[in-house]
Amino acid sequence: MATVVDSSNPKSNFPIQYRELNYLNCSKGWKSWFFTLDHKRIGIMYLIGVTCAFFLGGIFAVLLRTELLSPNRVLMGPDAYNQMFTLHGAIMTFLVIIPGVPAAIGNIILPVMLGAKDVAFPRMNLGSFYLWMFGAAFFLAAMVLGGLDTGWTFYTPYSITSSTAVITALMGVFILGFSSIFTGLNFIVTIHTMRPPGMTWFKMPLFLWALYATALIQILATPILGITGLLLIVERAFHIGIFDPALGGDPVLFQHFFWFYSHPAVYVMILPAMGVVSEVIAVHSRKHIFGYRFIAYSSIAIAIFGFLVWGHHMFVSGQSKMVAVIFSGITFSVSIPSAIKVFNWLTTMYKGSIRFTTAMCYGLAFIFIFSIGGLTGLFLATLATDIHLHDTYFVVAHFHYVMMGSSLVGLFAAVHHWWPKITGKMFNEFWGRIACLGVFMGFNLTFFPQFLLGTRGMPRRYYTYLPEFQNLHILSTMGAYLLGLSSALMAATLIYSVYRGKKAPANPWGGASLEWQCSSPPPHNNFDHPPLAGDPYVMESVVYNEEIGGFVPVESQGDNKESVTASGDNEV
Amino acid sequence: MNTAATKTTDEHSDSHDHEHHDSRLAHHFDSHQQQFDTGKLGIWLFLVTEVLFFSGLFGFYAVYRSLHPEVFLYASQFLDTTLGAANTVVLLFSSLTMAWGVRCAQLGQTKGLLVCLVTTLACAAIFLGVKSFEYTEKAHHGLLWAGMYQSPEHHEAEAAAAPAAGGEASDHAHDESAAAHDDHSDDSLFEKTKHTLSYMTTVLWTIILLSGVALGVLIKNPNKKTLATIAGCFLVSAMGMQVGAYASIGYHHLGHAEKPTDEEILMAETVPAEYAKQKEKVPEPELAGTFFSVYFCMTGLHAIHIIGGMIAISWLIVRTVHGAFTTYYFGAVDFVGLYWHLVDLIWIYLFPLLYLIN
Repeated sequence: MATVVDSSNPKSNFPIQYRELNYLNCSKGWKSWFFTLDHKRIGIMYLIGVTCAFFLGGIFAVLLRTELLSPNRVLMGPDAYNQMFTLHGAIMTFLVIIPGVPAAIGNIILPVMLGAKDVAFPRMNLGSFYLWMFGAAFFLAAMVLGGLDTGWTFYTPYSITSSTAVITALMGVFILGFSSIFTGLNFIVTIHTMRPPGMTWFKMPLFLWALYATALIQILATPILGITGLLLIVERAFHIGIFDPALGGDPVLFQHFFWFYSHPAVYVMILPAMGVVSEVIAVHSRKHIFGYRFIAYSSIAIAIFGFLVWGHHMFVSGQSKMVAVIFSGITFSVSIPSAIKVFNWLTTMYKGSIRFTTAMCYGLAFIFIFSIGGLTGLFLATLATDIHLHDTYFVVAHFHYVMMGSSLVGLFAAVHHWWPKITGKMFNEFWGRIACLGVFMGFNLTFFPQFLLGTRGMPRRYYTYLPEFQNLHILSTMGAYLLGLSSALMAATLIYSVYRGKKAPANPWGGASLEWQCSSPPPHNNFDHPPLAGDPYVMESVVYNEEIGGFVPVESQGDNKESVTASGDNEV
Repeated sequence: MNTAATKTTDEHSDSHDHEHHDSRLAHHFDSHQQQFDTGKLGIWLFLVTEVLFFSGLFGFYAVYRSLHPEVFLYASQFLDTTLGAANTVVLLFSSLTMAWGVRCAQLGQTKGLLVCLVTTLACAAIFLGVKSFEYTEKAHHGLLWAGMYQSPEHHEAEAAAAPAAGGEASDHAHDESAAAHDDHSDDSLFEKTKHTLSYMTTVLWTIILLSGVALGVLIKNPNKKTLATIAGCFLVSAMGMQVGAYASIGYHHLGHAEKPTDEEILMAETVPAEYAKQKEKVPEPELAGTFFSVYFCMTGLHAIHIIGGMIAISWLIVRTVHGAFTTYYFGAVDFVGLYWHLVDLIWIYLFPLLYLIN
């Protein structure tokens, strides 16, 4: 069968830990990357693209925070400031967080986790990556062609009259939307039709449940963004009077359309991160996930609820009181499935043997930050409180706690958790943890003061502020610097490991899901035979092996009878 | 499955790894059944996104029709129901031939499949031909989207009140001088419409000529099958559009009293009693242009989907000529067919919503 290409480990009863020929080096030249249909390579390209976009958006953020060190001009004028926060928001939302976990990590991990050779539609997968590239190119073009100062929400009527490159940016959004749709479509079909023998719906790893729920939102909500963007382009170009009040259009209709996508999109950002945390917490606590079905169902519940709450962005936009009350009520109910997840993660850790690996540290940071982000959401869902807090820094802090603090920290956790699998190299745990601490401290230092600013009435998107806010603004800016430096340290640690890191074993953390069964990095086809899938959270099915430096299945650890029996009784 | 595994381990040029062993089965699938099911689920999900994509426009339609029913009542009079109905029939027929084509593919009847696909393509082109006549005619009457809309009652008022928007579609629609709004002006507008359309028909004649010659030259050459088929698709599309355009022109020659005359416009306004009272002050609803915004957005997006479908059908025709489809591999035909039915279905909704308002 010519399956064993090479193995660093001659012991035949261990699974192959490393292959000379893997997906990273099985073919060479730029063409083998740019025209690849391999989901892992496409995922790597996404990861690189997302990282670049993240640092671009991050530079904007740092510049913004620097400007806000003082109520007066520090670096830029008010117009440049408007463009800066718009581009920061648009890039971070559309280019980083939305494709972050699903398109980059999901692409690499999902088929391997399923024991499949590829996603269902590999060509479409590559196509959606190129759509992402085109969308990013349009964003860059918008930056060059006069910038963008409408805010990432493109609210009408200002977006119709703004003299900046709104159409170019909207084209970017439209294209990125289709990229996202195709990724979601691919994932749903892959999960439906390509699960291996033995993997029923309730034996899927929870990351797949989360990606499935995410993909549902992606394909059901993103088309609305597409048509909204298209109508706004047409409105700007031809004045069709759909959103322009001067021609009888309705600007609030735009807000409805926009948030009908963009609120579910918030769950596109957070759900995959939740899935990552479900994996990370279970694997690094060496314990079966607690409340599997509850976590799985809560992902779906969040996806469904996510479609019914968009009106809470318009409590002060003049929608009817009745509607506002209903939206408020449904918004409260989203907290139930979210809380279910948090409680289950905490219970999973209870009596587990927790190892504070970098990925686990990010996972814990996620739970902490997400709890704050989620609970402050309840303040904003309360109608009366929202009128006070609407469009203040409280909102800014809230959604950064969820979108940056949770989604991106979830992405960081995913990157560290699967890094050995993706690159075949171990990163330096010490520097990884230092960077994690820096991200956590920096993040909270940046955004916690913004809650205080918001409750005291500091409005968002303002270039200047009252002098009494300066101390908190300075604190926030210092946090942003720390956050930026720590992210750079994280990237440096990871990139260093690619060149100097030691070789990773197939299963460095002791996970029981399928992706840890193939060698690190996986071969081109992931698996030679479709693997047999069992319960993905029976951590006792693998034991640590000193020689290899990683975990191996108990069956192959021939003389280790105790662990064989242990795995038989526990947790099944 | 085993064979696929052995093959791929020593074949690493991964951009080509979909073409080995059974070229009809992609390397990551175990069976044809799995491949087909995967594609089927994929296309259904894609159709869901398409429906949602259009739903924004339908939502917009619902909001504005409930806010300004008088606009829809007034402005839909200007749409030509007969042409709309003809197009509906054409599309329904194309759905039939598409479904028939899928059946032929399932039964492995390549010739039948080819005939069905070509007929479907021709029907799609006829639809576009009729649509281009309608668009051109609307443009010459100034019945454009809100920013470019010119009240049909103000044709005499000179295009002095220049359109708010810098549109490019048809400026010549407005430089007509004080043509009184009577049968005579209708005649001249019709002439202008025909004149504008003649650009399109000339281009189409050229395409027909070129693609016809190309087809004639290439058809004998077995190595140029693909090119010959593409030329054939162009030929069919151009001829279909030509048929649609000329049929519409001919129809208007015959029945051009069908066009809304003064009386009809008057009737349209006077039917609801409350507008009759206001007639002195408000000769037409203020936002009449909004209707045409809706009209152009919805039918325009639909037309783009028709063009997309034509490209997909042409791709099927090329693959059919190469004998790609067999009784166990016909997924692509099925999936394009589903897409085509959805495009038809959207038109089935658009037609009454836009044309049949009474």
